[in-house]
Amino acid sequence: MLNYLIKRLLWMIPMLIGISLISFFIMHLAPGDITASESAFNPKASEESRQKLRALYNLDKPLTTQYGLWLKRIVKLDFGNSFASHQRPVLWETKDAKGNITKGMIQDALPITLMINLIGLLIIFSISIFLGVTSAVNQNKWPDRLITIIVFIGFAVPGFWLALLLMYWTGVTHSWLPISGLHSVGYEKMGHVAQYVDLFKHLILPVSISSLGGLASISLYVRNGMLDVLQQEFITTARAKGLTENKVIYGHALRNTLLPLITIIGLSIPGLIGGSVIGESIFAISGMGKLFFDAVLMRDFPVVMGILTIGSVLTLFGNLIADIGYAWADPRIRRGISN
Amino acid sequence: MYFKYIFFLFILFNVAACSDKKEITYNYEGIFNNEKGGTLIDAMSGEPSNLISMIAGDSASSAIAGNIFNKLIKYDKNLELAPELAEKWVISDDQKTITFHLKRNLKWADGHDLTSDDVLFTWKLVTDEKTRTPYGSDYKLVEKAEAPDAYTFKVIYKQAYAPALDSWASLQILPKHILKDEDINHTFFSRKPTGSSYYKLSQWVNGEKLTLEANASSVMGEPNINQLTSRFIADTSSQFLELIADNIDLMNINPIQFARVIPSRPDLKKKLALYKELGNSYTYLGFNLKHHPFDDIRVRQAINYALDKQEVIDGVLLGLGEPVASPYKPGTRWSDKALHPYPYDKNQALKLLHEAGFSDTNNDGILDRNGKPFTFEILTNQNKQREMTAVLIQRRLKDIGIDAKIRVIEWASFVNQFIKTGDFDAVILGWSLSLDPDQYNIWHSSQQKPGQFNFIGYNNKEVDQLLEQGRTELNPDKREKIYHAFSKTLLRESPVIYLYAGYGLTAMNKRIKGIESPAPPAGIAYNSYDWFIPSTLRRNEITP
Repeated sequence: MLNYLIKRLLWMIPMLIGISLISFFIMHLAPGDITASESAFNPKASEESRQKLRALYNLDKPLTTQYGLWLKRIVKLDFGNSFASHQRPVLWETKDAKGNITKGMIQDALPITLMINLIGLLIIFSISIFLGVTSAVNQNKWPDRLITIIVFIGFAVPGFWLALLLMYWTGVTHSWLPISGLHSVGYEKMGHVAQYVDLFKHLILPVSISSLGGLASISLYVRNGMLDVLQQEFITTARAKGLTENKVIYGHALRNTLLPLITIIGLSIPGLIGGSVIGESIFAISGMGKLFFDAVLMRDFPVVMGILTIGSVLTLFGNLIADIGYAWADPRIRRGISN
Repeated sequence: MYFKYIFFLFILFNVAACSDKKEITYNYEGIFNNEKGGTLIDAMSGEPSNLISMIAGDSASSAIAGNIFNKLIKYDKNLELAPELAEKWVISDDQKTITFHLKRNLKWADGHDLTSDDVLFTWKLVTDEKTRTPYGSDYKLVEKAEAPDAYTFKVIYKQAYAPALDSWASLQILPKHILKDEDINHTFFSRKPTGSSYYKLSQWVNGEKLTLEANASSVMGEPNINQLTSRFIADTSSQFLELIADNIDLMNINPIQFARVIPSRPDLKKKLALYKELGNSYTYLGFNLKHHPFDDIRVRQAINYALDKQEVIDGVLLGLGEPVASPYKPGTRWSDKALHPYPYDKNQALKLLHEAGFSDTNNDGILDRNGKPFTFEILTNQNKQREMTAVLIQRRLKDIGIDAKIRVIEWASFVNQFIKTGDFDAVILGWSLSLDPDQYNIWHSSQQKPGQFNFIGYNNKEVDQLLEQGRTELNPDKREKIYHAFSKTLLRESPVIYLYAGYGLTAMNKRIKGIESPAPPAGIAYNSYDWFIPSTLRRNEITP
């Protein structure tokens, strides 16, 4: 088992270098650089000053040199500073001689995205398992049909459109929920409990919208897995033993249905740090999706590469965790690895 | 069993509904007196990047920094130069020296004195090779800058340079006592600035909002509105929902919202006031003058006659724009009232094209010359208004037998692969209606290298001469004559076709009073210092 782990971890190094190399060159294939978007069409900004900026950021050097410089920094876990005029650190805060702290860009955006996605994941899994089991038990009866129709509608409806309608309905016509942002304007003046209630209210719509798309696939997954399991012989045995139907379904069938879900959870780990650009823009939430999107449009290479690197590390670890989780849950696989 | 859950959900929703805000009805009409206090909340699409404006390039940063910092001189409501930190400025007889006399008792927001030493320090910063600014070139023309005493700042130019005054009306003065030991490119000051203007930064929550509060020690004293909060809301539809839900007080809106949505809803009309002001830019169709047949003045003039500018304004901007006949803002002294845009005249267009040798010899509906059909490509970037404009142009050109194709390209590719390389026939783009009339960088024949701004390849000796003359003449009346002559030649030669200058449209909650309407040339924001919110109309500012 240990050997297996070490082998997997060592394999990650060449994988990461490969991924970063490809992302770096693809990013630089797109025409333009930071100087094109910042001040390209302001007649007061001269071409010489743009050249100066390019030299400052090493953008005038050959691509291979630029990649080498980046790699040299990243192995020291130095993600660098953004090219944007605020020059904020990409990953984590820095402190200057006088004790002024500049927060990192990912440091600001990540907790927000992580919070929304974790709550979303929890909601998706708990609702989908419930829906999937209900569908499977009532296969081809009306609850099954109804659930399938509803989750497919949820899957097919464009999120931004539904978001705007819900914002209008709950925020403008009824003022039940806040429309956008994560905090009210007077947030700082509220008490602790009121702050949590405020955050909770702000989260209802964004989390609901972001969960909607995931419901369809996971609940269908559970439904089909459940149907497969219910046809197996150990279920017949369980029923023959005289167990109640509830025990058969929740005690025996469900546990076996959930095995493949471990893989899905593992694979969704990298997705936890990625936000939806459209969702975040509409709800005015400054998460990872918008950070990445804006960085790509601005050709802010350090930020783009920083997010891609973290994303690929998490993807590789997510795969590993999924495999380990699988081995932990299923003795057949555990034996396969040890051999 | 399921009904239990549905019932539970129903209860939940009702609990949520109980927290309903009480519908407050304000009485917006009536006469209100000036009073101090209150909070104005607005929405910005982008978050400011860096509040040191010589380094920042984005409009969000300059909007906020403009409230925090002062300049030596400013543009007043009619866009004429006026005193700000300097009470007056004197130009020497040889026009090479400008002496600014500062007002007395100027203070930074932290209580330190603001003197000519700070101005000199700021000039040194903006001209320093190490400073990461794209705007240094204007200030590098200063041969010598000095501060002989605390209230005098003197700059001497190698030769008279007329845009100098404009450059001093845009340079925000920075505090020496805070920045002298800082690296201007990486300093806390960019996010925690100390300025001298009538607002100061009170709070900045990354990705969420930024709050300014009144600075009583400014040279103008305390403004009426006590607090300005800008929320960062990227999506304009969400901004609009916040506006009609009364959570923000003002936003920039689009022509459809201005002309259709708000007027058709009495509830919105009751609480929102609409303002329009001429924006600071114009949209044009520009030709590559190095490509045939656009090197022929008759062809350019013909296309100018063939395009109906009013139709474009009505179709694209719902009538919320003006045609322009020069690259200057109508209503300012630089814009010549005697000049008028080319009228829509199809016959005149056809006549000019025939003179240039075009006729439809093969009867396919497309004009041709020497066997080659008149067909070209119009490029533009991803901008809805420009795309719609292109379609209208395409149709009008088809009327006179010109086949135009449209191609829409992402901005960075557009600049790098087409503009810089000169690989285009015609473009739809915008230029700013600059406050200073100098447009040397855009039209002078020497400015055609890749990356420079005369990318259409305009080359006219008379225009070159006028531009050079205008640059060295500081007397506004003499400059006016020079730039009127320049505009006239430009209009006749039509290297670009002016299409329209759109209005900037603002919707504002009626609780904000003291706004000048109709807007003066400088726009409604010029007197935001005097805006006020009557206490009866303020929203409850403690609870959300």
